[in-house]
Amino acid sequence: MKTIVLLSEANDPISGRPHLSRLEAQAIGLAANLDKTPQGLHVGPSEEGASAALGHGLSGLDVVETSVGEDPLPAIAGFLKNALNGNEPPALFLCGRRGEGGLETGIVPYLLAEALDLPILADAVAIRPGEVQGTLVVDQAMAKGARRRVTVRLPVIATVHALAPPPQPFAYGRMRRGELRRHRADMIPAAATSAESTTPVVGSHEERPHRARPKLMRTSGTSAGSHNLHVGPEPDEAARLILAYLEENGIRRYGND
Amino acid sequence: MTAAAFLPWLVVAMLLVAAVQIGRRVMLWRAGKPATIDWIVGLKALPKRYLVDVHHVVDRDKSASRMHVPTAGGLVLACGLLGFGLVPAIAASRLYWALVALAFLIMAAGVVLEARRRYPRALPRLSLGRWQRLPVYLGVFAAGGFLTALLAALGNPLPALSFLLFFPAAAAGLALAATTASGPMRHALAGATHLVAHPRPRRFDHEAPKGEATGLRPLDLEADKLGAEMPTDFAWNRLLAFDACVQCGRCEAACPAFAAGQPLSPKHLIADLAAASGGGHARTYAGNPYPNERQIGGTAGLHTPIVSPDGLVHPDTLWSCTTCRACVEECPMMIEHVDAIVDLRRFQTMELGAIPMKAEEPLAHYRGCDEPSGRPLFERTDFAAGLSLPRIVEKGEAEVLLWLGQAAYDLRGQRTLKALIQTLNAAGVDFAVLGGQERDCGDLARRLGDEATFQRLAKANVETLSRYRFARILTADPHALHVIRNEYPAFGGTYDVVHHTAFLAELVASGRVTPASLAGRTITYHDPCYLGRYNGEVEAPRALLDALGLERREMARSGKRSMCCGGGGGAPSADIPGDTRIPDIRMGQIKDTGAKTVAVACPQCTAMLEGVTGERPEVKDVAELLWEAIEAGRRKPAGAAPARELQPA
Repeated sequence: MKTIVLLSEANDPISGRPHLSRLEAQAIGLAANLDKTPQGLHVGPSEEGASAALGHGLSGLDVVETSVGEDPLPAIAGFLKNALNGNEPPALFLCGRRGEGGLETGIVPYLLAEALDLPILADAVAIRPGEVQGTLVVDQAMAKGARRRVTVRLPVIATVHALAPPPQPFAYGRMRRGELRRHRADMIPAAATSAESTTPVVGSHEERPHRARPKLMRTSGTSAGSHNLHVGPEPDEAARLILAYLEENGIRRYGND
Repeated sequence: MTAAAFLPWLVVAMLLVAAVQIGRRVMLWRAGKPATIDWIVGLKALPKRYLVDVHHVVDRDKSASRMHVPTAGGLVLACGLLGFGLVPAIAASRLYWALVALAFLIMAAGVVLEARRRYPRALPRLSLGRWQRLPVYLGVFAAGGFLTALLAALGNPLPALSFLLFFPAAAAGLALAATTASGPMRHALAGATHLVAHPRPRRFDHEAPKGEATGLRPLDLEADKLGAEMPTDFAWNRLLAFDACVQCGRCEAACPAFAAGQPLSPKHLIADLAAASGGGHARTYAGNPYPNERQIGGTAGLHTPIVSPDGLVHPDTLWSCTTCRACVEECPMMIEHVDAIVDLRRFQTMELGAIPMKAEEPLAHYRGCDEPSGRPLFERTDFAAGLSLPRIVEKGEAEVLLWLGQAAYDLRGQRTLKALIQTLNAAGVDFAVLGGQERDCGDLARRLGDEATFQRLAKANVETLSRYRFARILTADPHALHVIRNEYPAFGGTYDVVHHTAFLAELVASGRVTPASLAGRTITYHDPCYLGRYNGEVEAPRALLDALGLERREMARSGKRSMCCGGGGGAPSADIPGDTRIPDIRMGQIKDTGAKTVAVACPQCTAMLEGVTGERPEVKDVAELLWEAIEAGRRKPAGAAPARELQPA
């Protein structure tokens, strides 16, 4: 099963240097169980951190060079659309579950799923091929150690949870042998993506001083009851319902202001 | 015609058989990688290397040297004399045969001494099997040769008896010659060649600093294959070295991992490496097995991976080593076990990524933030808040650059460093630290086989150091000392590196600090492997302790033959389970001296020995003891009674 691991532009939490996100290294480990030659894709100004993925077991890495601060989503979507229309289409796309770079939002997998019109499965900890051809059985990590087994039809995007098996150790020789293919961004036909994702929002957020918040663990459960399942509510209504839920459970206690 | 007349021809036949047998090994050595060897120098140095260096090591076990000198000497003398017996005029002389008989008698005396080491029960470190039968062959050959030559010297009164004695001697002699391919006698030919073509000729130069012969060599990271996977990946003279092993087991007796029940025996490993190129052991290995031996497949060959669960050596064996070099120090055949282990580790780590999961963690931190503990570099000097700790970036130059190392992140190591910094300030030393610019020296990465990370850090550190002016580098970490002093020159950085024990001893000797006497306290000193064995520095710390008036007791294993604390070579990171822990064994030896305090000089040793549970002597760094004495001197007016109240309860 051809698998592509998407590699973000993560920074080391200690030194701040570009490095390979551990989640993505774990994703490579999961991919290696399904595909003897898992491939990687990185879109960004440099592959300095992502190239370590070859040392963790990727056999090839495509790097699409974009300029600093540019939204990588159109290039990712364009590249993958090309691949899906190719003669050996990939069946599984794996990503980390969160952004680990400076301004990364971690929302790329979801926007990508939307752009490619693929299903997305969050927080995979184990993946194996399904009994029926063209399906995949994924174990999802839930809160409080719960696991949920899901069978999905391929192709699919899945994000990987930190509780997945630890990554294969890095091997310098493997990184040296791995194939790094560079592409120029203008050679990739950009796929249409929703407008709001193409303009990165920088510095428009509001800063608030830290304050102690009640522990979420106290009352929140692992799964939502059916009584608060609302299908397609109006945004205002949805916001009101969420706030009401949070206050009911003692998670938010700040009144209606 | 007498039987003695055939003795010279027997020697010729033995030499032919030995030549054919060793020739089979030579073919295997030739499959190794090329090595640059100065043959002329090696051949010239052979007598000295054998008679001085080898004998010096053999002589540590008197029963071995007393056995080996007459046996080998008698054998060589007898065979050499018999060469002249091919000349008919000489063979006719009865005096000549008396000389030959004397040579065989000397050999026979040696064989008796050898037999006493093995019978009725062999020393536990010796190999049995063919090694146990060796004195039998040698004895029959020596006795038969002696009696045949004696009869010839007496004018051959009993020709029939002389033939009856000659045949067993001939059979034993040929059997001995046949073992030069894979048996005991291989050590003689391979050992002599190994001394000539030794991969580290500097170790025979006793004038040179010891560290020059112990530093690891850089690996070409552009090579097709990184590290050693199969026998052909070793240089040919390394394959030769494995063949030189006499299986005397001194390495095994000295190995801390073996003592702790971890699956490593240096002797077994070298025997395995020697057997690997020939397709496995010719006969079953007859020494002690690896403790808690792991299951292996046992496939072997010149082009077969050595280290793998299917191969000849289990990976756990490789990762048990603390790189303490005790085996190398004890080896009478001058084999470099640690080099072989590091070469094998390099392949496992860099080509396969087959490193124990726990050891991958520090390596991942190295890649992420240049520090195996995963702490930010700028936090390195945080412990010294409140102390005067100048940074070289502010001063630009200093007489002494203090290399803090990993100890700066460890609460216990920080206590040592604080004592050292306070002493330096008290002595008015012009010193500074790199602060946030100091990366880890890379010792742990290199010993775990991650040469790529080591070389990156070495180059970065050399580049940083080149920006500042200083006369010497001072460090309290022998691992950093060894790496910077002996392994950084290959990356363009040659520095005068001094260990804090030597530096503090200088301060005391020159009177720049005036410690009070700590007399009344008993102490023992634990030599760090990377200071004592790797760099030969065993005197300065002792001189310093003596200057403090401490009653110093020595452990049975001390100085260059000290036992490892278990903290080197990434062994604590790999954490291969054994029956006991190496620091527990060492602490037992410390307790045997009855000393109340053990002085240490390495943050690794401190951590390992302090990790020993239960009632035990106090672990104090030499720098802490000195600072304690300096402070005691300040409290007391000069000339007051020794500070007896410092004696711990």
